[in-house]
Amino acid sequence: MQSLPRLFLVGVLCLAASTGTYAEETRPLRFETDVRPILKAHCWQCHGEEKDVKGGFDARLARFLLKGGESGPAIVPGKHAESLLYKRVVSGEMPPGNKQISARETSTLARWIDSGAATVRPEPETLTARDTFTEEERRHWSFQPIHRPTLPHVEQPGRVRTPVDTFLLSRLESQGLSFGVEADKRKLIRRLYFNLTGLPPAPATVETFVAADFPDAHERLVDALLASPRYGERWGRHWLDVTGYADSDGYTGADVVRKWAYKYRDYVIRSFNSDKPWTEFLVEQLAGDELLTPPYQDLTPAEADRLIATGFLRMGPDGTGGANGDQNVARNQVIAETIKIISTSLLGLSVGCAQCHPHRYDPITHADYYRMRALLEPAYDWKEWRAPNARLVSQWPQDVRQRAAAVDKELQDISQQRSDELDALVRETLAQELAKLPTELQLRAKAARETPAERRSDEQQTLLEEYPFLRISRDTIQQFVPDQVSMITKKWDERTAAAKKKRPADDNVMCLNEVPGQVSPTMLFARGDFNQPRQEIGPGELSVLAPTGFTIPRNDPQLPTTGRRLTYARHLTSGQHPLVARVLVNRFWMHHFGHGLVATPADFGMRSEGPTHPALLDWIAADFMRGGWELKRFHRNIVTAAAYRQVSTRRGELEAIDPDNLLLGRMPVRRLEAETLRDSLLALAGRLSSKMYGDPVPVSPDVSGQGIILSVNRFNSAGQVVRGPTDLGEEVVRRTVYIQVRRSMPLGMLELFDLPAMTPNCERRPSSTVAPQALLMMNNPFVVRVTRAFAARVQRTAGADPVAQFQLAWRSAFGRPPSDREVRNGLKFLNEQANAVRAAPGRSKTGSPDPVLAALAHLCQALLSSNAFLYVD
Amino acid sequence: MGSLGLAWLLNQDNLLADPTKPELERRTFDLAPRPPVHKPQATAMISMFMQGGPSQVDLFDPKPELRRRHLQDYIGDIHYDAVGQASTKLFSGPWKFSKRGECGMELSDLLPQLGQIADDICLIRSMHTGISGHEPSIRAMNTGRFVQGRPSLGSWMVYALGSENQDLPAFMVLRDPTGTPVLSVENWQNAWLPSIFQGTVVRPQEPRIANLEAPASLRGATQQRLLSYLQGINRNHLERHPGEHDLAARMQSYDMAARMQVAAKEALDISQETAWTHKFYGIDDSVTRDYGTRCLIARRLIERGVRFVQIFSGNQHWDHHSGIVKSLPDVCRKTDKPAAALVMDLKRRGLLDTTLVHWGGEMGRLPVIQNEKNIGRDHNGRGFSMWLAGGGLKAGYVHGATDEVGHKAVEDVVNHYDYHATLLYLFGLDPQQVSFTRANGSSSLLDDQPGQVVAPILQRPPQLS
Repeated sequence: MQSLPRLFLVGVLCLAASTGTYAEETRPLRFETDVRPILKAHCWQCHGEEKDVKGGFDARLARFLLKGGESGPAIVPGKHAESLLYKRVVSGEMPPGNKQISARETSTLARWIDSGAATVRPEPETLTARDTFTEEERRHWSFQPIHRPTLPHVEQPGRVRTPVDTFLLSRLESQGLSFGVEADKRKLIRRLYFNLTGLPPAPATVETFVAADFPDAHERLVDALLASPRYGERWGRHWLDVTGYADSDGYTGADVVRKWAYKYRDYVIRSFNSDKPWTEFLVEQLAGDELLTPPYQDLTPAEADRLIATGFLRMGPDGTGGANGDQNVARNQVIAETIKIISTSLLGLSVGCAQCHPHRYDPITHADYYRMRALLEPAYDWKEWRAPNARLVSQWPQDVRQRAAAVDKELQDISQQRSDELDALVRETLAQELAKLPTELQLRAKAARETPAERRSDEQQTLLEEYPFLRISRDTIQQFVPDQVSMITKKWDERTAAAKKKRPADDNVMCLNEVPGQVSPTMLFARGDFNQPRQEIGPGELSVLAPTGFTIPRNDPQLPTTGRRLTYARHLTSGQHPLVARVLVNRFWMHHFGHGLVATPADFGMRSEGPTHPALLDWIAADFMRGGWELKRFHRNIVTAAAYRQVSTRRGELEAIDPDNLLLGRMPVRRLEAETLRDSLLALAGRLSSKMYGDPVPVSPDVSGQGIILSVNRFNSAGQVVRGPTDLGEEVVRRTVYIQVRRSMPLGMLELFDLPAMTPNCERRPSSTVAPQALLMMNNPFVVRVTRAFAARVQRTAGADPVAQFQLAWRSAFGRPPSDREVRNGLKFLNEQANAVRAAPGRSKTGSPDPVLAALAHLCQALLSSNAFLYVD
Repeated sequence: MGSLGLAWLLNQDNLLADPTKPELERRTFDLAPRPPVHKPQATAMISMFMQGGPSQVDLFDPKPELRRRHLQDYIGDIHYDAVGQASTKLFSGPWKFSKRGECGMELSDLLPQLGQIADDICLIRSMHTGISGHEPSIRAMNTGRFVQGRPSLGSWMVYALGSENQDLPAFMVLRDPTGTPVLSVENWQNAWLPSIFQGTVVRPQEPRIANLEAPASLRGATQQRLLSYLQGINRNHLERHPGEHDLAARMQSYDMAARMQVAAKEALDISQETAWTHKFYGIDDSVTRDYGTRCLIARRLIERGVRFVQIFSGNQHWDHHSGIVKSLPDVCRKTDKPAAALVMDLKRRGLLDTTLVHWGGEMGRLPVIQNEKNIGRDHNGRGFSMWLAGGGLKAGYVHGATDEVGHKAVEDVVNHYDYHATLLYLFGLDPQQVSFTRANGSSSLLDDQPGQVVAPILQRPPQLS
């Protein structure tokens, strides 16, 4: 490949830079829009936010800058060189400690002062609570109500299939561009299959779809895929990323297994498959427990789901089950991680910064953070903490509870009877031993035994030492009559074991709930430090988002719980919240098109780049809500759109204007995700299990050091692996979403293909391209096994004809028939490879694989390692 | 720069090409070695990234004033980070500093082995990012800015310079066995640079690179034929997707993988090293075994022409919010000997002249106590230390200073972008020129920050023109 120097001439760079900032420089500078953000980030901590402002100088209003502090006015409008603010900044004196104000920011300050130090609007005399945020912050696009915009005009209405197309097309047209042509049906079915189910279409399905000439074939295929249980397994996984789903606690090295987390995973998959409206889905996850009455017994399946749904709030790492480390740190960390999961998944804001001080960039106050924390506090009470196991709620139905109680009673009885028998034996043995003593001694010895230790005379003490049998008890009787004791022990051990076997297996839910009546106050922690509690903070919405008059009750008397999370959840799903629907649909969009309309799915704040298509984002958000928050309806709108159906080919005119494809003048080419790759390999091999739900398939370190594999290992007391993996049978070919997510043990092949580490959750997955992935496709035993199975399946289905075999393998992998040249190349490869295998030295007549099948397996491996398979275009 | 290069540059600005027909093909990238713009002083780099924030006042930056005012209240501004339990009580650690080497560099007794190479290192005591959270600080040090989504230092290096070895990844990452570092893949991501420039992770345990061994049925010519057939399919596929550089990168990854089967196995096989070397790096001792092994692997990689190797400490090993009196010596014991051994070994082999070694974290720690019950220190991005060695840097040299208690860098402040400018300069690059064109303009590692080459620490500083 040709190599070119990649270094730029300085002139080229400068030209680009000056063009880029030209518009900015000509715009009039204003305090609120240009200067305030700089001062807020660099100065306010000392000059405004803390009670005692340094030097008597408050930098939060332009009026205050004019007034200045102890050293006099901070600015002289029109004269930046005479302005104290500018002089102190430029000299490096302020901010102290070489904190950086960039040259660009300094220049902005100077230009603003020179242009007269104007504000957008008159400023108040003093700052009140209302002035915590500026108009600019209040008016930030993502905090505005969602209105359904009218559809824009397009030049080519013929290219529009669904409303989303009008927004995209009109934008493209404004740049002199348009959509690419519609992709052929083979590409489309492959795209739809991978996107909606995470699996490849079978060759026969492709042909049926290609042959179907009715006008709504595409729509019908979409309906069929959305109705498939495979859909929930695919799209549920996306949500599990955001929630930080894991089958282990993380936080500590032990990374304790969460046996019951899988029920939440199953709930998510079920909810996606049943197209549960997201209003309900979110309310259940945030407050399902508040829809029920403790003690949560004898729940219907729907009720049980509400409890299971709160697993959403239990997904963060939780180190409070272990004895190591500072419990208070661990507890508060659980709460912080949960707030992070809620805010990044639903609000598209990182509120975490406000744990210690006002958010530096977004209008989130320190108290706001604790308002959110107060939503959780009745359930996550850091002073009355419940460790993970203490939070489990049993789901035994009444008859099982009774059975368990009966067994417990039986066990108690067994224990009692065992003691009684041993006591009888003690008495008997004592009597026998006493009888051996001289008669006159017998009475004294008996008295010595029966006298409590503290009242014994010296003589009695001597007796006890002389005749140890006098101290005989249940615990020591073994030494006197070992045979009889072991008979008794054996008998009762057997009965205990038999009774224990009758005890029903545990069936628990990992959930978040409140302890009725226990409502601890939430305190604001100075600098985020729980050792520095300040004032009490009540539950509430972030103040910049809170509608007038909106309150969350501290403790709703109508409910057995406080009702805090329930009120909050209903507020989020009311249809009036500016962020929730936008954040959700942006993420759905990202999973269809590779990137969101807002590039940062978990950051819709002041620093985010904002949507590429603001009206489109609002339209899909509004339409999502109007359509009952049903995701399948949303999918139909997207995947039947012309934008989704266009080809992925890059075109010169697009590249010139939009190389990052932000305008969607083509479909992106995307690599299969880790799960999709593994599942598809298994599916092509004909091995993929359709078993849904239940206990996760366990992962363990491989004894031979090949990393993490699907297995259950046995460990000795030192924690070393002592025996090989247990055969897991069909479990090993289940879909990847059912594989245990141990935070510390990512499955080797998934890790290489960018399985996210859940610390605590994953907002967006990277997609890497590195040589270890190629090595995996070349050499990994799993890949070799499944490609062999794929070859055997091809051979079985296609018969002995090599052309038919090649055709089928090719169609299965790529969804299209091979060209003549591709057939010729393939057959040539098969032939050469078979000959080579045949001629390989050391090859025995028996026991070695059939050379033809071996060659076919190599062909299959090449196909499945190729870009045509690994990418969806 | 040759005429081909000039044409390409002009083309970048659409000055030559027909603007309606930009070349899709121009976006192909490889790891072939590329000559820098001036004679390089360093050609490879090993960065020992000590995540968490090593405590400069306990390790590198002695402060008699801090000792004198031990447990007194600090009167002055302290920039605490998010983390709680902050106090204003100054704390001087129980460790002594001694003059080491002929240069008399004062170093903590916690780092006795570093003392052995005091005459080989360049210690910067005035590092500054101005921010004190882990994530933004790591981003500053490893990607140039506080914000997400930018290419890592290693990616820039191999983008600008390619690699001297086409059989091993140009940019390799040696992860800690206890877990991924904070920010995980962000630390070695290519972001919007082409995928071929991202870091390749070497696993912390055997197999260091999984799947290096071909199955018996697929060795030698059999696999060669398979790969050649595979690449044929890929070439046809790429023809139908012009300009899709991730597809090209994946094709290159197969070529690389095939060569790595031999080369990586050999490079990672430390059993080829003598028993003496194992001992020298502390591989014979369970405390230093892991870090020593990784330092030795790093040397072997550099020796074979890998451009950039970054060794990560575990998640927060240096993040001593509490219990610093016990835990700081622990982590020093694990890393001190191997890190010093690496520098000595490189020197012994004549590799230190061209290999730039870096030891440092994303920030330092405050001189005041955090958590009086179990003393620790909070984050400090306003003044911290790190050391560099080899690759054109002055040896036995101390640069910059913090204030009297070691909180803020006050003398010869080195910002992260100054550090980056210096690195690029030492590699023969012009810090302002290494950039990549994107739809919305060009961007560079320095990204418009006023990075200055730190001339006083260089053996051969840039000539003023």
